[in-house]
Formats: sequence, C-alpha cells, structure tokens
Amino acid sequence: MTNRIAALDAGTYYHHRSLYEDRYRGFFDRIVYAPELAETDLTDIDVLIVSCRTDPAVLVPQGDTIRRLLNQGKTVVAMGSTGAQQWLPKVDWTDLPTNFWWWKEGGTLGLEVQAPTHPLFGHIALADATWHYHGQYAPPQGAQSLIGVTGEGSVFYEDRVTTPGCMLVTALDPMYHHGSYFMPATTRFLDGFLPYLKETHKLA
Amino acid sequence: MARALFLKPIKGAGGDLPSVMGFIRNAEEIEHYALHEADLSGYAALLLPAHLDQRYFGTLSTKVSDWLDRGGTLVFNGHVAWPMLPEFNAFVALEKRNLENLQIHRIADHPVFAGVDMADLTYRRGVAGFYARGCNPPPPSAVPVLGVGPDRVPCDWVYERPGGGRIFMHAGNDLWMYASDKTSARRIVPQLMDWVLGAAA
Repeated sequence: MTNRIAALDAGTYYHHRSLYEDRYRGFFDRIVYAPELAETDLTDIDVLIVSCRTDPAVLVPQGDTIRRLLNQGKTVVAMGSTGAQQWLPKVDWTDLPTNFWWWKEGGTLGLEVQAPTHPLFGHIALADATWHYHGQYAPPQGAQSLIGVTGEGSVFYEDRVTTPGCMLVTALDPMYHHGSYFMPATTRFLDGFLPYLKETHKLA
Repeated sequence: MARALFLKPIKGAGGDLPSVMGFIRNAEEIEHYALHEADLSGYAALLLPAHLDQRYFGTLSTKVSDWLDRGGTLVFNGHVAWPMLPEFNAFVALEKRNLENLQIHRIADHPVFAGVDMADLTYRRGVAGFYARGCNPPPPSAVPVLGVGPDRVPCDWVYERPGGGRIFMHAGNDLWMYASDKTSARRIVPQLMDWVLGAAA
C-alpha cells in the first residue's frame, strides 16, 4: 500500500522541473496548480506537498482546504519558504539571515539529526539535507524535530498532535535548487524524501 | 519621463529576495498577481522576476504582445518552462556543468554589460555557475549577447521584434541581484535601466 501524493505547482520553472520531469513525475498521483487547490477534489489523496516557495498569498485564502485535509487524517508537507505559519496551525517560525557560504568559510551549518530512529533517515542522510536554511521553527509541544540546529531551533519537524492528521514542516527548499540545476544535495534530498513519502510514511 | 515596471517575485516568508527599488529611479513595482489588472501603457519597460508564475503570465500573452507591439521593452529572467510568448522557447540545460562549461563569454557588445568583467559573472566568491546553466533558445534573428561554455550557448540575448518592441532575455537569476555587488557586475543594474528606458538605445 503506497501513499497517493498530490503536489502543488506554483507555475515556476523550478516546480516544472521538479514535478513534471521524468525523475520524479511517477511519485505524484496529481499535480495541482496552486491557485486552483480549493476547487480540486483530493478525496483519494493521502499526502499534499506544498512545494517550495509557493506564495503564501495564494495559500492563505485556501487555508481552510488545507486544514480540512488534516482534519481528515491526511498528511500535509510544508516545504521551505511557503510561509507555513500563515496557513498551518501552531507553526512558530523565526526568519534568520541565510548563511550561503559556510562551506567556503571552513565552518559547518550546525545541523543535526534529532530523531535518529525516524524512518525518514532510512531514506536520507544528514548530508542530503545540508545546504542552507532561511530560518528556524520552534515545534509545538508533542511534535518531533527531525533535523535541527544544535542548541537552536528545528529546520524539519513532524507534528502528529495538533491535528488529526500529520504535518511535516521544513525550512528546506530542495525543489527550488534542484529545479534550478543547482546544489546536488537538494537532488539527493528529493531522491530520498519522495520515496519516503510514497512508500514509508505512516499516515495518522 | 519614461518609467519601468517591476513585477514582484512570488515569495515565501523568507526575506532573501530584496527589492531593487532602493537602487533605481523611474521605476515602480507591483504585486505578482496584480499584473493582469495593470495598465501597461504608461510604462516603457516591464521587468519580470525569475520567481515567476509562468502559468499566470502565460494567460497574459495577448496583453503583453499588444504592449510590445506599441514599443515596450520586456526583460525576462529565469528558465522558460511554460508557454508564454511566441518568442520564448523552453530552457535547455547544459549537459555538463563543470568549470569550463560554466564560463561566461561576451558574444556581442551591449550597453547593459559595458565595463562588466565576464569573470565577475562566471564567479561569485570563487564559485562558478550562479549566472547561467543553459539558455532559453533565441528566435533566429535575435542577437546573442552573452554565452556560457565553450559553445557560447546564448544565455543572454536581445530580440528586436519585427512588429515592434524588444525582448531582453537572461536565462538565470534576476539581473538586479547584482545591484549592490562589489565587482564590476554592479554596473548591470544602472546600465539595464538606462537601456530599457531608452537612454542607451
């Protein structure tokens, strides 16, 4: 039994490459143009991916549709730079200056796996999630940070307590960079994350 | 006074796409999804962000083509993925993206790139590949301006439309991200504005 996945397409070139090209097309049972989400029947869909950088101005007016999916026990994945705090419950986000250059300056990004037994890490390694982040989350009580900054906030967490469904919320924006033919780690992230969502992820 | 219109990018909550407005004059910007309501007749130029909803922009092709026919200048950044204008062709990525293939070369002199050292486009803090990784193939009579790699794949080109108007194509991130650059690349934004507004036509 595999999960049926819908992904939002915001009409950008990087969504086109990440969603429609052969590498990942087979993971998506439906691709929905983001402004048309509310009028799309998602009855048979288990997981909705809100693709990286989908404009919150498009998502906020359709927030009821997204929250209804969660109330039905489905999973919603909020990818990076989608303003999830504006359309998902109990999301606490802090915008931070982005360090694009840590790898040139001899430092590290400071990320760590914070739930090593989580099945996601059967599909990706920490290095596959390491490029940069644009801010951090403070996950609500009972949610589980999967990847975070040591001693600071989370860049990827799972919330199975706030709604009857499951929210996967991340600050990472792999679809943008894979879609721009940039940064191989972002492609490796999707190579692991999409099979995880399809085959391994347990619905609420 | 001729004016230019910048379309704001679609964007998430992050603040990593700063506005160009603090660096230029004679320009305005509007919200991304306000373009269909905008009266373009008052503008000499329309500048599009790489973070573009191309499906939305594609619904406005008649409006934009009519404005081009009347002499407008359109600047496009990014990779063409969806049908938008008849002059646009879908992005073709370089097959190999090693250092040699990512070198930026000047093909023809153009006022937008006057005095810009191509090395400042090829490299950013010593890293190649930010400027372009392929091209949006030009119409046959377009003029290639910059090329990438040994084959000089035309990542930047200019097209004088037979029916009027001009298209400036850049197959990469927004050219105005160089507005505060510390290298010769910072010449691009003021020179682009002069060119689109006619001062350097």
